[in-house]
Amino acid sequence: MTTFSPQTQTSSPSPSPKSSLLPLYGMMAEFETPAQIMEAAKKVNAAGYRFWDCHVPFPVHGLDKAMGIKRTILPLLVFGAGMTGTIVGFCLQAFTNAASFSIWALVWVTGYPFLISGKPLMSVPAWIPIIFELTILLSALSAVGLMFLMNGLPRLSHPLLSNIRFRRATDDRFFIVIESRDPKFLRSKTEAFMKTLGAKHIEVVEDR
Amino acid sequence: MSASITAVADLSDRSIMGDDRLVRTSRMAYVVAVISLIAAAFVAWKQNDPHGLAMIWLQNGIFVLTLSLGAFFFVMIQHITNAGWAVAIRRIAEAQAANLTWIWVLFLVPMFWLLITNREWNGFGHGLAIIWPWADMAYLTEHSPAEGAIVAQKTAFLNPTFFMIRACFYFAFWALATRWFLSTSRRQDQTGDATLSTKMRYAAAPCLILFALTSTFAAVDWIMSLSPAWFSTMFGIYFFAGTCAGGFSIIAIGCLRLQAMGYLRGVITAEHYQDIGKMIWAFGIVFWAYIAFSQYMLIWYGNLPEETVWFLARQVGDWAWVSVALLLGHFIIPFLFFISRWMKRWRGTLAFGALWMLAFSWIDIYWLVMPVVPHDVATFTTYDALAAAYATTSTGLGNPLNYLMLVGFIGLSIGSATGRLSRGSVLCRRDPRLNESLQFENI
Repeated sequence: MTTFSPQTQTSSPSPSPKSSLLPLYGMMAEFETPAQIMEAAKKVNAAGYRFWDCHVPFPVHGLDKAMGIKRTILPLLVFGAGMTGTIVGFCLQAFTNAASFSIWALVWVTGYPFLISGKPLMSVPAWIPIIFELTILLSALSAVGLMFLMNGLPRLSHPLLSNIRFRRATDDRFFIVIESRDPKFLRSKTEAFMKTLGAKHIEVVEDR
Repeated sequence: MSASITAVADLSDRSIMGDDRLVRTSRMAYVVAVISLIAAAFVAWKQNDPHGLAMIWLQNGIFVLTLSLGAFFFVMIQHITNAGWAVAIRRIAEAQAANLTWIWVLFLVPMFWLLITNREWNGFGHGLAIIWPWADMAYLTEHSPAEGAIVAQKTAFLNPTFFMIRACFYFAFWALATRWFLSTSRRQDQTGDATLSTKMRYAAAPCLILFALTSTFAAVDWIMSLSPAWFSTMFGIYFFAGTCAGGFSIIAIGCLRLQAMGYLRGVITAEHYQDIGKMIWAFGIVFWAYIAFSQYMLIWYGNLPEETVWFLARQVGDWAWVSVALLLGHFIIPFLFFISRWMKRWRGTLAFGALWMLAFSWIDIYWLVMPVVPHDVATFTTYDALAAAYATTSTGLGNPLNYLMLVGFIGLSIGSATGRLSRGSVLCRRDPRLNESLQFENI
């Protein structure tokens, strides 16, 4: 079993007197099984909270749906980035292979027309590998980069990481955290609401 | 994760056991096939063109072969990766792949018949040479000495005897392997023995290696050697990519049809359809285009006459339109059509896309098999002169014999596969990973 054993705590929120001076990050509810957190997530979603999240040690299928999370628009953005790569790849080669090219109606720019094995200067088959690679490159970079951006990553710290109990989110516990910035968040009301979820433990998280 | 079940899978006999619904479908397919083949025989007799008939026979034979080879590959790849998601649809692929137990009749019988007959055929040569020019070196050398000189160096490999031995080996392997995978999977239906899954996983590895070799050599033997002086090292894998397009599409259509008939209710879900769609998209569309372009670009760049003639034959006359149609219809349009997840999850769009890919994999095989490299190609000084001389080259796509044979062969294939499904369970119902498959979700 787990080597980490948190000290005995009561089931009520128990901020230490010292930490109550710290700003509030949110309220955290701890569950023991995926089924419990699934039910609880449905209720939190139905209650109309927006700034909240589930933290689970492994992917729980269907949790996204229970939380009412909309599908990400990342694929669309990646498609756009990929198409940008396609067009850039094409234009880059058309431009550099062009014998002469009027640019911005003012300057005559000469490309680098180079005859290769008797092929026409504008020979699309030879360009496909570059176009393909640029498409893949921009898609892959934008997929990773935008994923980080949209998740607010990278960040050096997070209030939840200072919480002792929360460490078990990587082991065998399931957490729901409602953030204090949620418009519907009111410490007393949210606490009362969380008690109806059937959590094993409820706790206040400070913004350390 | 019991909380995540969305639709309840119906595992009653009515839903998972083959019965008279499938028997009726099977009979109907056979009836359509027999009528088409009789009509085809009549048309062929009227046309009196043994060479044309042999080519159309070969082309459609290879097309139905690719459907089963693709399904066979699907079965093996799921076993070797120990894939849980595919358990719900694997039996359909197994039944389709098991067509390889009899498809040899469509090939070997006519091949042997051509081999043993020595009659003159329309002045074109005799025997196997009616399709494969290397089979009659005397005729080839006499009519196109340049090609004959090249092909003469390949006769150690390309000769009727070795050709038939190889063909027998491919078919023997395919027939035995697909039969074994189906019967082992069925044995598990009875016994529920989990070690059979392990056995199939172990068997999948050597079978995949043999599959790669046999499908490559089969493509070289039966398609590439139609132009025996020509060669491409990409050819085998191009053929393989094509088999994936057809094979995965027929699996998707099989699943959709079975569900429409009332089988596998709640067993196959949008999640499975999305994954089949992904495989069609990845293997049959993107990978196919990647390989097709790789083959084209190397030959185009190298610009060696003995290599480019093959593509030349595919861009003169009406063939240019078929080539463009293939680029659009086998890659660009389905690539954009299937890129969204919803297009793979909705049954209507998946069915449309899969039928589209089937149609274009037929055209792909047609494009591989049918064009004839101009024999007087060396007498032209410029490309334009040759293109002008062959501007009226017909593709033969208007010939009704194509479609009668296609319906006939497809009918036999569907009749056989559905008949096979009707004689047992249409689901690998006691596979240890069935539950995983039923609850499978794309993240």
